[in-house]
Amino acid sequence: MTELVSMEFHPQPQPGEARPWAFPAPERGSLDNGLTVLRCHRPGQQVVAVEIHLDAPLDAEPTGLDGVATIMARAFSEGTDKHSAEEFAAELERCGATLDSHADHPGVRLSLEVPVSRLPKALGLLADALRAPAFVDSEIERLVRNRLDEIPHEMANPGRRAAKELSKELFPATSRMSRPRQGTEETVAGIDSAAVRAFYEKHVRPATATVVVVGDLTGTDLDALLADTLGAWTGSSGEPRPVPPVVADDTGRVVIVDRPGAVQTQLLIGRVGADRHDRVWPAQVLGTYCLGGTLTSRLDKVLREEKGYTYGVRAFGQVLRSAPDGTGAAMLAISGSVDTPNTGPALADLWNELRKLAAGGLTDAERDIAVQNLVGVAPLKFETAAAVAGTLADQVEQHLPDDYQATLYRQLAATGTVEATAAAVSAFPVDRLVTILVGDAAQIAEPVKALGIGEVTVVTG
Amino acid sequence: MPMGHTATAEAGSGGLTATEHRLDNGLRVVLSEDHLTPVAAVCLWYDVGSRHEAKGRTGLAHLFEHLMFQGSKQVDGNGHFELVQGAGGSLNGTTSFERTNYFETMPAHQLELALWLEADRMGSLLAALDDKSMENQRDVVKNERRQRYDNVPYGTAFEKLTALAYPEGHPYHHTPIGSMADLDAATLEDARNFFRTYYAPNNAVLSVVGDIDPEQTLAWINKYFGSIPAHDGKPEPRDGALPDIIGEQLREVVEEEVPARALMAAYRLPEDGTRACDAADLALTVLGGGESSRLYNRLVRRDRTAVAAGFGLLRLAGAPSLGWLDVKTSGDVEVPVIEAAVDEELARFAEEGPTPEEMERAQAQLEREWLDRLGTVAGRADELCRFAVLFGDPQLALTAVQRVLEITPEEVREVAKARLRPDNRAVLVYEPVTADTGSPQAAEAAEAAEAAEAAEAAEAAETTEENEESAK
Repeated sequence: MTELVSMEFHPQPQPGEARPWAFPAPERGSLDNGLTVLRCHRPGQQVVAVEIHLDAPLDAEPTGLDGVATIMARAFSEGTDKHSAEEFAAELERCGATLDSHADHPGVRLSLEVPVSRLPKALGLLADALRAPAFVDSEIERLVRNRLDEIPHEMANPGRRAAKELSKELFPATSRMSRPRQGTEETVAGIDSAAVRAFYEKHVRPATATVVVVGDLTGTDLDALLADTLGAWTGSSGEPRPVPPVVADDTGRVVIVDRPGAVQTQLLIGRVGADRHDRVWPAQVLGTYCLGGTLTSRLDKVLREEKGYTYGVRAFGQVLRSAPDGTGAAMLAISGSVDTPNTGPALADLWNELRKLAAGGLTDAERDIAVQNLVGVAPLKFETAAAVAGTLADQVEQHLPDDYQATLYRQLAATGTVEATAAAVSAFPVDRLVTILVGDAAQIAEPVKALGIGEVTVVTG
Repeated sequence: MPMGHTATAEAGSGGLTATEHRLDNGLRVVLSEDHLTPVAAVCLWYDVGSRHEAKGRTGLAHLFEHLMFQGSKQVDGNGHFELVQGAGGSLNGTTSFERTNYFETMPAHQLELALWLEADRMGSLLAALDDKSMENQRDVVKNERRQRYDNVPYGTAFEKLTALAYPEGHPYHHTPIGSMADLDAATLEDARNFFRTYYAPNNAVLSVVGDIDPEQTLAWINKYFGSIPAHDGKPEPRDGALPDIIGEQLREVVEEEVPARALMAAYRLPEDGTRACDAADLALTVLGGGESSRLYNRLVRRDRTAVAAGFGLLRLAGAPSLGWLDVKTSGDVEVPVIEAAVDEELARFAEEGPTPEEMERAQAQLEREWLDRLGTVAGRADELCRFAVLFGDPQLALTAVQRVLEITPEEVREVAKARLRPDNRAVLVYEPVTADTGSPQAAEAAEAAEAAEAAEAAEAAETTEENEESAK
């Protein structure tokens, strides 16, 4: 039954003339202490974003002290030679600033956001944190205990639990990548202020660090400001660390993390593949988007919009770590949640979509719409200073040129359907995927075994 | 059509301006130019949310929002998503207690497409709505509920606290996600009636912000929306007014398979749009915002009894707002220890009020949150709609930060003293049980009804997103 409609209809409008936009080119320089500086003026962006990359990667953590980089990163905002931990937090918030920090495989990142009127003050605090962190015993003890308290929360979260299991499965036990980024209960418990200071002294220095400043810098003398703040940070010269190669075992198999009574199964299906240094990256981005980038991509078209098995399933590629010589790698994965009774049917459909992709390839229409989206959304995506600064800092930690993102958009636009298909098919080969399922094993194990997507094992926890 | 507001910046608006217009069919339009980036945001607020839902049909406003993406007269199936994304745009829709919003951010030269799409579904959704969409989106929404609430630790919290804080029969007693039973019970005819009742131009505000030509934009809006007939007959939502103070401490203990004990509470606070609500926002920021707040310093830094402790404000215009406390305990610390410390801090604050430094910090934090919100065209479009729909004047969005900065320390103390008291809160205590005894209860609770963003629950009390459901 259709309803009488009384409005006046018009044909779908045609677009106007596109207005030019390009990913901003940063200006590169350095301070006397060797700190690399990237800056980018973005008119109208009153909240300035400052990103710091430190060449202190997780594989530099001493054996048995996984998590020391994380504790150090957090301890940067727990007091300096001028302020106690409480005072430091209060001073930052007085600026209306936020300071986030985290440690990951490529290194430690600090992200400051602050209204431009209070940039000098906040940049001074950030410089103090890097130059003279207090690392007071009792504050480190508190951070360690806090971190230990967080671990059960992460293990209880289906998405986080799946990610930990996938890392453990994919990478050899000797690789730092196989173990949780922020450490385990055993390793974190062994961290103290001496360990944090030793890690800091060995790996944190301006000569191997980069600062990225993005925002409306009208009227800000950034050179003078940087000289007064981060310029006072000293340290020995340092060579960049060699990057260990990434190896992974992607033999097709299934691990079920048992959650009796779970109403949904969290899926994480992954392997390791090319990073941004590889020529295939733009085609891989395009192909992955067509497979599972959005609600209208192949996976959701079936799993969500036809079958209703899920709120959404996404395919993505996320750089793990890159090396200047191109030996880095990215995690290629498909993730989402499906209701427990439909876990078997949902995985069957998912594998069916992968097989259909390999057999029939993408259509030109799919490729066109993906390119139009990926390239077209750039001005929206990079409206804020934080988005631009984050991407510039990613490029730095991934050893990419400053014009990488701008170049990527041109490459995406020039990538054809055949290349995108080939990249997607080799990114997600049906027999080389490690599947992690966090769900009720009693209900899902048998249907999953019947799919023939690899040996099925069940673990608890 | 312009209603007299000119594009002249008011004091404290950061130089931003907006003009207001009204079509003959009652559609209110707000336009704001910003030519820094070649993008344009379209935002459409319908004055309908979960508070308008009838008994036995909780979750209908949100389920209906999903159906708005299933095609209309001139747009096939998923065409709305496909066309916007294919044009380089992004889009979504969300449902809260008080409104449903739909938004597209487009490259500026694709603005007309977004307007055409929104008009098509406003005027002709029922030409396309069928059983197949209804059944499919019912399953999708049930899976959204499982993913965001039922299958995550503490997923119960938001729904349970809301149900405690607003009495049975109150329009805000249930959350937008609704119950599984009601989602199952909703019919296609319910959805059709919902559309006929609430989706009319005179029950909506459309804002367009960004790199636009206002005259051209208004002409397009007239062309596409102008012929959609107005519809009166929307029933008034049930009155959400309640006494200022609950009058007793409401309490529920949840025994579930969660990783740690938790103390959560909802305090009844002044309605959004009042000075007292802004004062409450500052009070909660001093007490529990960020990492220099009184509760964070006390519980996390000094006593070391909590892994995370914070306050958030859920602003509501049609009912009392909620001040949202969330504390996860450290190690084997017991909840009464936390509760005693919280009460002590709140009582002290009610007596002494904020220090000048605390006032400065809280205002700086809220000012910066406003700069963030108004710093993107999409954020600005949403705020203009919010103030137009809830308070009748979009211009208030541009001066909101100024009003927060005008609040005095005495006003902050007053609202804390009057409202942040034990007899004005609903308390939820989580006591973990082990997997063996816990799983049957967990499974049962899952079918009942829960709500809250839990994945990053260890971080702090975040309430702004918790009451929103989205299509994407």
